[in-house]
Amino acid sequence: MNRKDSTSVFSPNRREFLHGVGGLTLVIGSSGLISACTTEQQPPAPATGSTEITPNIWVTLGADDTVTVQFPATEMGQGSSTALPLILADELDADWDKVRIETVAFHDEAYGNPFFQNMLYTAGSLTVQAYFDPLRRAGAQARKLLLRSAAAYWDVPVEELMTEPSVVIHPASGRRLGYGEIVAFTELPETLPEVSDEELKPFGSHRYLGRDMPRRDMLAKSDGSAEFGIDVHVPDMVYASVLRAPVEDEEPISIDDAAARAVDGVTDVVALPWGVAVVADTYEASKWGKEALDVTWSESSRFREANSETDLDAYVGQAEDLAQTGTAWRAAGELDAAMDGAAEIIEATYRSDPAYHAQMEPMNATAHVTEDGKAAEIWVSTQTQSLSILGAAEFLETTPDRITLHPMYIGGGFGRRTLRRQRYVEDALLVSRAIGRPVKVIWTREDDVKDGTFRNAAAQCLRAGFDGEGNLVGWHHRVAAPKVLEYMNPPRWEVSAGRDVIAMLGSESSRYDIPNFRAEHIITERCSRVCAWRGVATSYTKFAAESFVDELAAARNIDPLEFRMQLCHNNPRALTVLETVAGMADWSRPREGTALGLALAGYSSTFAGGIAEISVDESSGVIDVHNFWLVADAGYLLQPSNSEAQLEGNVVFGISSALSEQIDIAGGQVRQNNYYDHPVMRMHEMPNIEVRAISTDNPPTGIGEVGLSSTAAALANALFAATGARVRHIPLTPQRVLAAMQA
Amino acid sequence: MASFSLNGQAVEVDADPRTPLLWVIREHLRYTGTKFGCGVGQCGACTVHIDGASTYSCLTPVSAIEGREITTIEGLSSDSDHPLQRAWVEEEVPQCGYCQSGQIMRAADLLATNPRPTRDEIVTHMSTILCRCGTYNRIIRAIERAAEEV
Repeated sequence: MNRKDSTSVFSPNRREFLHGVGGLTLVIGSSGLISACTTEQQPPAPATGSTEITPNIWVTLGADDTVTVQFPATEMGQGSSTALPLILADELDADWDKVRIETVAFHDEAYGNPFFQNMLYTAGSLTVQAYFDPLRRAGAQARKLLLRSAAAYWDVPVEELMTEPSVVIHPASGRRLGYGEIVAFTELPETLPEVSDEELKPFGSHRYLGRDMPRRDMLAKSDGSAEFGIDVHVPDMVYASVLRAPVEDEEPISIDDAAARAVDGVTDVVALPWGVAVVADTYEASKWGKEALDVTWSESSRFREANSETDLDAYVGQAEDLAQTGTAWRAAGELDAAMDGAAEIIEATYRSDPAYHAQMEPMNATAHVTEDGKAAEIWVSTQTQSLSILGAAEFLETTPDRITLHPMYIGGGFGRRTLRRQRYVEDALLVSRAIGRPVKVIWTREDDVKDGTFRNAAAQCLRAGFDGEGNLVGWHHRVAAPKVLEYMNPPRWEVSAGRDVIAMLGSESSRYDIPNFRAEHIITERCSRVCAWRGVATSYTKFAAESFVDELAAARNIDPLEFRMQLCHNNPRALTVLETVAGMADWSRPREGTALGLALAGYSSTFAGGIAEISVDESSGVIDVHNFWLVADAGYLLQPSNSEAQLEGNVVFGISSALSEQIDIAGGQVRQNNYYDHPVMRMHEMPNIEVRAISTDNPPTGIGEVGLSSTAAALANALFAATGARVRHIPLTPQRVLAAMQA
Repeated sequence: MASFSLNGQAVEVDADPRTPLLWVIREHLRYTGTKFGCGVGQCGACTVHIDGASTYSCLTPVSAIEGREITTIEGLSSDSDHPLQRAWVEEEVPQCGYCQSGQIMRAADLLATNPRPTRDEIVTHMSTILCRCGTYNRIIRAIERAAEEV
């Protein structure tokens, strides 16, 4: 009773289909693929009519009334596979039930995200922000075309027409034409109509946006039919498990695979530059074979010296050594002069350990490399179709057009699946090339932890200067961290002018009005594999900056809320967020046995503030979170309910990581193994969480990460309010809390 | 050769007796709604029912299920219309969705024995299943909604 073979959960689009034919024999079996094939083979439309028209790269209108929208991102739980097509459908005034969504599965800069060098790249909460305007215009353009065509057909002025979902109406005569009917007699003009700003629907007047349209991926994710990368099955496929080098950059020196080969079902053993793969007919045999390997590894890697504790001490030394200057991330005014003239300077240094993504779907990939080794079909959960393709092409020393990608649903992204070199894909490519069959590689959770690409460790030295009247006149935020972007994507680093957004985001502290400001990146040595993590650097830069603001408020004996309101008196959106969250938490009400901590920690252009209410067990140092309130203003909200779900999830993720998630590295090896020694918050550990997403008439910005940025600082500030102890190191483990309380 | 019932159908699988049921379901039989998350009974993404009781399939060797009835997410309802599944869609619980089969199977076990659970009972029962996206509040709401229907 075996089930069907896989191609992709998403119906492949036209380009992917053609592309696939040019590269490799495609695996037939998906209904989506067959339908794409059928469309291709239809006879050319008669001169008097069309079966479909494609006014622009984003939308195809069918004579059968279907509206097919290209989705240029990845659905990983944030909801943009619904939100982006909704933007277009709303402006087109399409019947949402007639909208089909196709994922762009090939690398084409026309579809790429301009925030990521026109790569297909889903990260940084930048999908809606990047595509809101182009998709609105694409929808409006298609609608305008239909209106003109209908006006000509009826021979009436276009101004007399209006639309209802997927219907053009001429109210004066009562005539109606469905979009599909119009398509049937419409030929694309040589020049398509332009759309001016005034022709776009104003905020608040949308049919779908702002109205909580149901997410398209809910049913498939509630009945087990959503197909993730790990669910792929292709004919003739075998499995591989890889014993990975214990330390980065080591390689196998000698391999005793006799016991592995003796495991029933094992067919091959393949040496990789970074490990040894055991190939078998079943996953379990490959895993048992891997466990039976006896491998001697090289011992030459500099990472053998890596130690998360002492390496962080070295980062602290660099952060505090003012003689070391870094790359400016944001600078304003004359910081050095302001600090020289300051009546008082306050300094504090904050530490953050490496952090593990702990996404629920362990890394995996399936690949089928052609006999000449120069083309491949790959199935992978990826946050970037472009880099999965380009990375695989570079790895096989071939051209991107010879890589056919099947993007799948993703069991958690959080930045983990954004690298240019995707080692799990390379595992599958190498093994498939070696044995000439499609191969599915599944990492164990332990592989996923020990070969994790972590949020980098960082040390941050914060310095504030006050003038004689007690005004905050200078702010200096020194972030000592490795070049994360360089490791993630070297070509992007090369054009970044040394600006490492992954290491620095959030240190710009742009909500506060501080005349003399400098945030700078002090480059440190990379001590582990690194990568973006949920919230990117804001999870630590905002921990430091918002803890420091609290320390300054305490030093000046001002209420932390009042102090922040003074600092952003020129920033009405920040003030509204602060007032709203303070109201939700009833900030000024005295508490007994608990204390509140506040953070104003937005993410890029999104504003947010959070308040934690905690108590502390003074004997164990354990922080008990009772309540967490969060408010965000991400501009004009497209999907309000989903926005709140994102905020809620971020609070859970943020508190979990800020309190108890720890990665330790010694001798270049990660000490943690699995969820038992890297605990992730469970339902019974969750505090009461109340979130509010405010919709404002500002362009929509990211909502998928902003909820996380406030959590660590709000908890640390609440800890200070509760105990007077200041912990400047995340996670805020009980040991660190106790040590601070006893200091 | 292991013989058992999967979603009401008799199946025979040629697998090593030590093979975890999870891999038999997912890779031998290709019912991939049941997920691999940790392999050590920590995350609960692999939760299925054995004779009606929710169990970690990653910790259950196929030798232990001889003659027993296994239900996976694919067999929970005939048309994806179990009250919990409807509630999951209504409340828009899933984000990435990877853990949700396990969540639903675990919740189905609860409602089968306790049709009107209190919030505390829900929380205690569901704490065996991790969700990294943090959908816990909506899981609770969806279970409460489904409980009103059953």
